[in-house]
Amino acid sequence: MAAAVGWGAFGSGRWPALARCCWRAEVAAYFSAPAASSPEAQQREGEGGPARSATLPPGMRLNPGRAWLRVVGPSGRVGSSACRLPPFGLGLCLSQQIPNFLHLTPPAIKKHCAALRDFCTEWPSALDSDEKCEQHFPVEIETVDYVSAGTSIRNPKARIVTLRVSSTLGKQLPLFLKTSFVYEFFRCPLRRQNYDYGIHLLTVLYHESWKTETWESEKTEEDMEEYIWENSSSQRNALDTLLQIKATENVSNVTKEELLASEVVRNYRNSVIALKNEGETESNISQYKESVKKLLNIQALP
Amino acid sequence: VTTSISSLFPARFLEVQHCRLRGEQGGAANPIVPTGPYVFCSLPSQAKHSEQHEGHLYTIPLEEVKAVLPHGLPHRFQRQIKTFNETCIMVRKPALELFTYLKNSNFAHPVVRYVIYGERGTGKTMTLCHVVHFCARQGWLVLHIPDAHLWVKNCKELMQSSYNKERLDQPLQASFWLRNFRTTNESFLKEIKTQQKYVWGKRDSTEQGRPLGEVVEQGLTRVKNASDVVGVVLKEIKQQCCLGSFRVLVAVDGVNALWGRTTLKKEDKSPVSPEELTLVYNLRKMMMNNWSGGAVVTTLSQTGSLFKPSSAHLPHELLGKEGFDALDPFVPILVPNYTEREFESCYHYYLHCRWLQHEKARTEDGKEELRFLSGCNPGQLERLSAPL
Repeated sequence: MAAAVGWGAFGSGRWPALARCCWRAEVAAYFSAPAASSPEAQQREGEGGPARSATLPPGMRLNPGRAWLRVVGPSGRVGSSACRLPPFGLGLCLSQQIPNFLHLTPPAIKKHCAALRDFCTEWPSALDSDEKCEQHFPVEIETVDYVSAGTSIRNPKARIVTLRVSSTLGKQLPLFLKTSFVYEFFRCPLRRQNYDYGIHLLTVLYHESWKTETWESEKTEEDMEEYIWENSSSQRNALDTLLQIKATENVSNVTKEELLASEVVRNYRNSVIALKNEGETESNISQYKESVKKLLNIQALP
Repeated sequence: VTTSISSLFPARFLEVQHCRLRGEQGGAANPIVPTGPYVFCSLPSQAKHSEQHEGHLYTIPLEEVKAVLPHGLPHRFQRQIKTFNETCIMVRKPALELFTYLKNSNFAHPVVRYVIYGERGTGKTMTLCHVVHFCARQGWLVLHIPDAHLWVKNCKELMQSSYNKERLDQPLQASFWLRNFRTTNESFLKEIKTQQKYVWGKRDSTEQGRPLGEVVEQGLTRVKNASDVVGVVLKEIKQQCCLGSFRVLVAVDGVNALWGRTTLKKEDKSPVSPEELTLVYNLRKMMMNNWSGGAVVTTLSQTGSLFKPSSAHLPHELLGKEGFDALDPFVPILVPNYTEREFESCYHYYLHCRWLQHEKARTEDGKEELRFLSGCNPGQLERLSAPL
C-alpha cells in the first residue's frame, strides 16, 4: 500500500490514476488467474526447483509445479501477500521506481490487458471506416505519449497537440477551410494548455472567416485559389467561336444560355477546369483535345 | 523564277528496290518489289498518304525545297540535305492526323488552331514542315514563320515605329522574312490586290488595287518600313481569304515566343514586352480565330525559348496563362518518339545512304545499341549516327 500512496503523490492526472487502476486490476487478476502450467514448465521447475529451494530461506522456497507468474505476480512485482520476497520496489525512493511496463513479458502484458478490458467500452460499430470517422468527427486531436526506460515519465515532446480538420467540414464553411487543415500547437508548456489554445484558435478562425472586408471585392483572377470557368476568357472564346460557327450555318436565335447548357460546352468546360486546376497530364490533355474536337466539330475520319 | 507552286511537281522516284507496302497497290509509277525490310520508297502524291504509309520516307525535289521551305527546316536537317543530296521526310502519325483534319475542315467556320507539342528532338519542326509542304502542294498560301523566338531576342536594330509611337520595329528581321515570303508565294503576290491605300512616307504610297507584290517590294527596298509592310501583308491576307478564293496556312514555329518575355531592352534599359513589337503584335492578331478560310498550325518549342526550364514541353507550361487563353480552344497534337517501325525505317535509311559507316552498325547488336542509346528519339538518333 506504500506504493499506492506513493503513486498518489504524483498528483491528479491520467497516468497516476491509470497506474492505480492497474495496480488494483493486477491484484484482482492475480488472485483470479488460474494456475497455468504446461508440462515442460513443470518439468523445468521440477528440476530447478528442489535444488534451488534447498538453499533459499524458507519464505523463498518454491514449490515445483507452481507457475512462476503466480509467484512474482503479473507485474513482476510481488503481491504483498503472495510471497515473502521483499517487494521489488521496496526501499527505493519514488524516483527510482520504474513507471512503465516495458520490462514485462508478453504473457504478463496480456494479463494486464485482459484485466483492463473491464474498464473499457467497445469501439462503436457504426464507425467502421475512415470516411465515416471523418464525416462524424471532422476535427481530430492527436497527442503522443512517450515512454522511456528511465524513471521519469516527463517528455517535453508530449505537450504537442496536432489539430486536424478534414475537408468534409470545410464544404459547409467559407473558403479557408475547403481543403483539409493540419496545425501543430506546441508553444504552451502543458498539453492541456495547447489543446485549449487550439480549440480557441479554430473558433476564432471560424468566426473571422464569415466576415467580409471591403478590399475583398477587388480580388482579381490571379488571386483566385482555383480556376473558375464562368466569366473566364476561355468561356468567352468558346462562346464567340460557337456563335461565329452558328452564324456561318445561318442558324440564328441561338442564345448564350442554350450554348452554355449544351453537352459539348459542358464537356469542354470540365476539361479546361481539370487542365487548369490539376495541372497538365497526358490524360488531361487528351481529354481537352477530344472536347475541343467535339466543340469545333472537327472530323477525324479520312 | 517562273515556276508556280500551284501545279503539282512530279515526285522524283528513287532507284531503291527494297520496299514493302502492306496492302497497297502502289501509286502511278512506283517500282515496288515487296522484298526485304520496309525501308522507304517515294510516294506519288502526298494527298494519298495514309496510315499504310506510316514510317515511310518520301523525297522532295531540291528545287521544290528551295521554293517551299527556304527557311523552315531545322539546321541539322539542312546539313543532312547537303550531305545526302536529297530531302527525305518520314511520314509519321501526327502529320497524317493533321492532314485528315485539314482535309475535312470546313473553311466557312472560323480557323482552327493546332498546337504541335512534344519533348525535345521528337520531330515537331519536321512535322510542321511536312504540313507546310502538303499545303503548298495543294495550292494554299503559306505564311511560314520559321522561328518566332528570333523575333524576341538578339535584335540588333530596334526603331520606334512610325505608325504607332508605342511600338518598336525590327527592320532586319522583317525584311528577312519578307524575302522568304516572296520566294514561297510568288504567284499569290500577283493575284492579291490591296483593298486600301497605304502611305509609307512623304513620297511613297501604294494605291488601292495594286498587287500585293508591290507592297512587299516596298518593304524590301525601304527596309525601315519593313515591319509595317509585314503588318499590311498579314492584314490583307486575313481580310481576303474569308472571301474564299484561296486558302491560307499560318505556320508558326515556337509560338510560345509570342506570349513570353523578351530579352530586348529599350534605350532607357527598360525591358520590352512582346506586344510592344510590331511584328509580334501583328502576328498575334493572325493567331486569333476571328477569320476563316484556312488553318493555323503552330509548334511549341523549348529550344530557343527564353526563361523557360529545359524540361518544359507541355502546352500550358510553355504558353503560360496568357498564351493559353489566347489560343484556347485549340487542338493539341502530341509528337512522340519513334515507334518500332519508324525507328527501323530511319535506321535502314541511314544504312542505305551509307551514313552509318561503322562495321558494327550493320549488326543486330549495333541496331539495338543505337535504339537503346537514342531512346528512339529522332534528334538523338541523328546525333548519334553522325560520328558513326
